[in-house]
Amino acid sequence: MTQILIQGLLLSGLYALIAMGFTLIFSIGRILNLAYGAYLLIGGYTYFYVAQTLGMPKIAGVLLAAILGCVMGLLKYRLLVKPLKGDHVAVEISSLILAVVLQAGVVLLFGDSSKILLPIIPGVERIGGAAIPYSNLFAAVASWVILISLYLFVRKTHTGRAMQAVSMDPKGAAISGIDADRINMITWGISGTLGAVAGVFFASYTQLYPGMWVAPLIIAVAVVIVGGIGSIIGTLIVAHIIGFMEVMTSAFIAPELRGVMTMVLIIAVLILRPKGLFGREEL
Amino acid sequence: MGLRWYHFAAWAAFVGFMFLLPEMVSKGTLRIIIFANFLAVFAISWDVLSGRTGYVSFGHPFLIGIGAYTTAILTKRFDVPVEISIPIAVFVTMIGGLIVVLPALRIKGSYFALITLAYMELIYQLVQVVRPDLTGGTRGMSGLPTLTRGAVNGYYMSLTLMVIVAFGVWLVMRTRIGTALSAIGMNEEAVKGSGLSVTRLKLFAFLLSAMIAGLGGAFYVHYLGSIAPRALFDINFVFTIIVAALIGGASTTIGPIIGAFFLTFLLEYLRPYLPGAERYFIYGGVALLLYMYQPKGIYEIIQQGWARVRART
Repeated sequence: MTQILIQGLLLSGLYALIAMGFTLIFSIGRILNLAYGAYLLIGGYTYFYVAQTLGMPKIAGVLLAAILGCVMGLLKYRLLVKPLKGDHVAVEISSLILAVVLQAGVVLLFGDSSKILLPIIPGVERIGGAAIPYSNLFAAVASWVILISLYLFVRKTHTGRAMQAVSMDPKGAAISGIDADRINMITWGISGTLGAVAGVFFASYTQLYPGMWVAPLIIAVAVVIVGGIGSIIGTLIVAHIIGFMEVMTSAFIAPELRGVMTMVLIIAVLILRPKGLFGREEL
Repeated sequence: MGLRWYHFAAWAAFVGFMFLLPEMVSKGTLRIIIFANFLAVFAISWDVLSGRTGYVSFGHPFLIGIGAYTTAILTKRFDVPVEISIPIAVFVTMIGGLIVVLPALRIKGSYFALITLAYMELIYQLVQVVRPDLTGGTRGMSGLPTLTRGAVNGYYMSLTLMVIVAFGVWLVMRTRIGTALSAIGMNEEAVKGSGLSVTRLKLFAFLLSAMIAGLGGAFYVHYLGSIAPRALFDINFVFTIIVAALIGGASTTIGPIIGAFFLTFLLEYLRPYLPGAERYFIYGGVALLLYMYQPKGIYEIIQQGWARVRART
């Protein structure tokens, strides 16, 4: 029981981090960034290259991954989203193409085989019969720190409030003198950073391989659909629902079915409550 | 329907040329064209639903997979002859697709795309764990009965399928239903306002799309003689189908065919330089640039070029 509780909490923290970057973009531009999974891929591989191939300090790996993710987010907004001017279908399709291109780029550079990331912090802690790797604990704690600072940023700072304003009503925000383009840039940058950092943790949780981006993308999508878009708190709650559901499914039913339950949840919620469990709140 | 003699002349010329092709090209090229033909069928199927009505499906392999698995299981596990199993597979695809996608039809825009993606992932995971004795689990099935032997016969089979599907869709899309479907893609509210049942139209588009997908999937399985979940429910496969339809020209019949041939040959010509999955890097890059340059596809580029040539003379 303790094991399920702890594993559930750890996994949920990670899922919340994964979903957050995706939610931010969705709430601000109603854009489904299907290339979001690719940020995780790039983050994971950057960390792998810097920290394990080059042997530089691990913190440098995480930082570089974050920077690269931020740049990717900004580039994507500049080169793809902005030229397509809010044509959602076109943005989604070109995002999907971009994700496949990035995946192939990773294959080109690192090869097709999966890599195992060394734990960020080695060692295992035993709590009530449950083996908790320090890495996972660190990932969960770091996720929470990032999420809380993001929440404070959005609620308390001027830029954060401008983001909220744009997500609620772009026209109203423009009238109040908010430069929506700048806010969009910032949001895409943050989203890319979050994605890349989440990628480092996610890759150390599972493993690093070129197709790893689909699963976290589905999780992010699930959180957005089930939770209703935008709200940070809603994202947290749903990330915990999904995280615990997966842990419990693999503990009580069958480990192979853990992904199935997530899909069933998405489909059920979309059909029964298309507006999500918590309605469609803004940021 | 506004059919003219030159429409049939163009179709006859196209079909005649394609049927003479085995005399002109090597067996290796022929095998590539077979894949292009199947991809064209899948792309047309995607286009009927998504290209025309604007309801983007990211999970089309879901439908193709139902058709492919139904006929594979029937022939392999229950020794049903292929002639019976393929119609059953098409029927099952339509029914199965209907049951799961019917509720999804009231979901709009991006959510529709997501739910189809979720369905694809769902069936991918289910196929591997539920009744592996039937589905072959993770490894899939091999040694299924094949319909044809040799490249030339396979070519004729795939070509016939592709031409029948393309011609059928072309005819349907020239009727008022086809016009209404394209109108949904442009402005759904306006179609509703004109007193047409949008739900019924979308249902029709979906059933037609599922029928073609089931047909294509079933024939594809009996061409390959094997089936594997990883190759079928793959995001790269979705990507290839969607890009074929879009690059060629969505909402046209000839467009997906052009796109399928363009992409298949691009992929094959890259093979000597980049053998593995890296090919998708250049392939996807080309697709992305083309799509950003002209979202309406190659067909539109050709038409514009043709208009320019005509304007000059």
